[in-house]
Amino acid sequence: MTAVDPEQRIPDPIELDRAEEARLHAALGLEPATAAPGEYAGFETVGIPDRPPQTEREREIYSLEEGEMLFNMGPQHPSTHGVMRLVVKVRGEVVTDLDPVLGYLHRGIEKLCENATYTTALTYVDPMDYLSSMHNEHAPAIAFEKLYGIRAPKRAEYIRALVVELNRVFSHGLMMGFLALDMGGITPILYAFINRDETVELLASISGQRMLFNFFRVGGVNWDVSDEFINRLSRWRVNVGKAVSANEALLTSNEIFVARTRGMGKLSAEQAIAYGVSGPNLRASGVPFDVRSAHPYSIYNELDFKVVTQTAGDSHARYVQRVQELKQSLSLIDQIVEQMPHGPVQAQVPGIIRPRPGRAYGAVESPRGLYSVYAISDGGPNPFRFRMRDPSFISLQVMPVLMPGHLLADTMAIMASLDPVMGGVDK
Amino acid sequence: MGRRRALTAPARAGALVRALTDRHPELAAGLWTDEDTVEITIPGERNVELLRELRDEPELHFWYLTDAAAVDYGPGERFEVVYHLYSDLHPSWLRVRATVDRGNPHIASISDLWPGATFHEREMFDMMGIVFDGNRDLRRIFMSPDYRSFPQRRDFLLPDDAADSAAAGVNPLERPETWDLSRFSDELTHGTDR
Repeated sequence: MTAVDPEQRIPDPIELDRAEEARLHAALGLEPATAAPGEYAGFETVGIPDRPPQTEREREIYSLEEGEMLFNMGPQHPSTHGVMRLVVKVRGEVVTDLDPVLGYLHRGIEKLCENATYTTALTYVDPMDYLSSMHNEHAPAIAFEKLYGIRAPKRAEYIRALVVELNRVFSHGLMMGFLALDMGGITPILYAFINRDETVELLASISGQRMLFNFFRVGGVNWDVSDEFINRLSRWRVNVGKAVSANEALLTSNEIFVARTRGMGKLSAEQAIAYGVSGPNLRASGVPFDVRSAHPYSIYNELDFKVVTQTAGDSHARYVQRVQELKQSLSLIDQIVEQMPHGPVQAQVPGIIRPRPGRAYGAVESPRGLYSVYAISDGGPNPFRFRMRDPSFISLQVMPVLMPGHLLADTMAIMASLDPVMGGVDK
Repeated sequence: MGRRRALTAPARAGALVRALTDRHPELAAGLWTDEDTVEITIPGERNVELLRELRDEPELHFWYLTDAAAVDYGPGERFEVVYHLYSDLHPSWLRVRATVDRGNPHIASISDLWPGATFHEREMFDMMGIVFDGNRDLRRIFMSPDYRSFPQRRDFLLPDDAADSAAAGVNPLERPETWDLSRFSDELTHGTDR
């Protein structure tokens, strides 16, 4: 038997952690919490950083009046659509203020892309907004092609438009399900996932991947449409309407659904423009701004479509807007398949490109709104600056505007109607 | 080079170029266009005044701020805050590049013109350390509040690069030489941190 030397006891990991924390705090020069009692709610009570407020707005949110209470929704809340924390200030059941705390999913994708070649940068953007991966690749492809001074062949542009519209269909379809799920309706998400599964399998048959497609290339797309894809597409096109209309029948005029969406989170056109809201959320407030028609990219100027808008600007209008856009996308898909020309799908581009120094801006209409890339080349093999504007990041700003006066239980319902995806918000 | 398109000013952007140069002849030198973008370069101090004019003048009417981003041109160079604007009167995006001194990175906030710029400015502050005077919510947005570095600056190295660099051996994610915020600590904390 081995005797245990009491002098050589294993150090307690908690003690080590404390010592390390103290050392780090000293190295960083962090001050201990010195908030005046009663005015600023500290870390002990609600999990808010144990330091004085840094800004006017932060002081406003974290200072409580008589009868008010702060608490966190998230970061592990099941319906925050990712990892995100909402600090909600309530008076009874009524929300008086709200502060979204972001960054739980921050991966530094912009910086990663700046350290990758132009071709590999296109693979990093897929997991950003993971419900619109095709759109994520489309915007940088446009920007890089402008920088390099090349255009994709016609057939490649048609295939691009086809896959992004397919992506839009499943993204909007999922939004219908998630919106219902956040109000406690389980069934619609099941129908939505039938469609979504078929669509990602369809996209997998053209790109080889179910979610992170890596399909776009500078100057074209990776694969031409295959027989399997065409077979699946025609079968999918016949069936896609069923799950959507099943969901519509369950939701659109459902009494409970209407009661919880109509008049909720009303956003006026002026507010929507001022806050930079884009996409279906902006059009639901009556502003006919759609990048596909405002700055037609790819082949959208050859397709017949009209920007649809709603007038109400509430949660229900945002839902209806997406259903209508979904149907519009189906008609666009029909037109694209009808008009698709023959030809190559990839321009002659070397594996590593070195565009001349310059700047380029590429914007696309993703299911969540204006998704744009600003790329700068310094003549080297990787982008000097790669900037992505994600629509859901900007849409989240209106939450503190929409929420005051609504019941706490409607927080998630209103947020789901904005359809944010945290992978995109946090980059 | 034959397959590359020449980056000439398209004729359809002419009305916008004329409107801009008529109003501000001094901008003509920095004016640049590509197939669907018109770009102007302005000094950082004039950003609010010019953006307000671009938004409110009926002839220009750039009512929608599509993007605001910061670019770092490296130590000894400059920062740029780049605004992209949309107007349905003009067929081009308008890019406004506002130059910011890298040693003293201050620029006025445009969150009074478009409240939606608040998050953009918070992101630029978080990633580049540019201070937007007048933004009433200038906190870090992605990194944690006690983080002391600015990860998208050119002199912030990723771990992969650090092995070959002069900074090898230093934990590159927490490089102390980028911690010195004393120059503008008042702005960072609005004077509440003392």
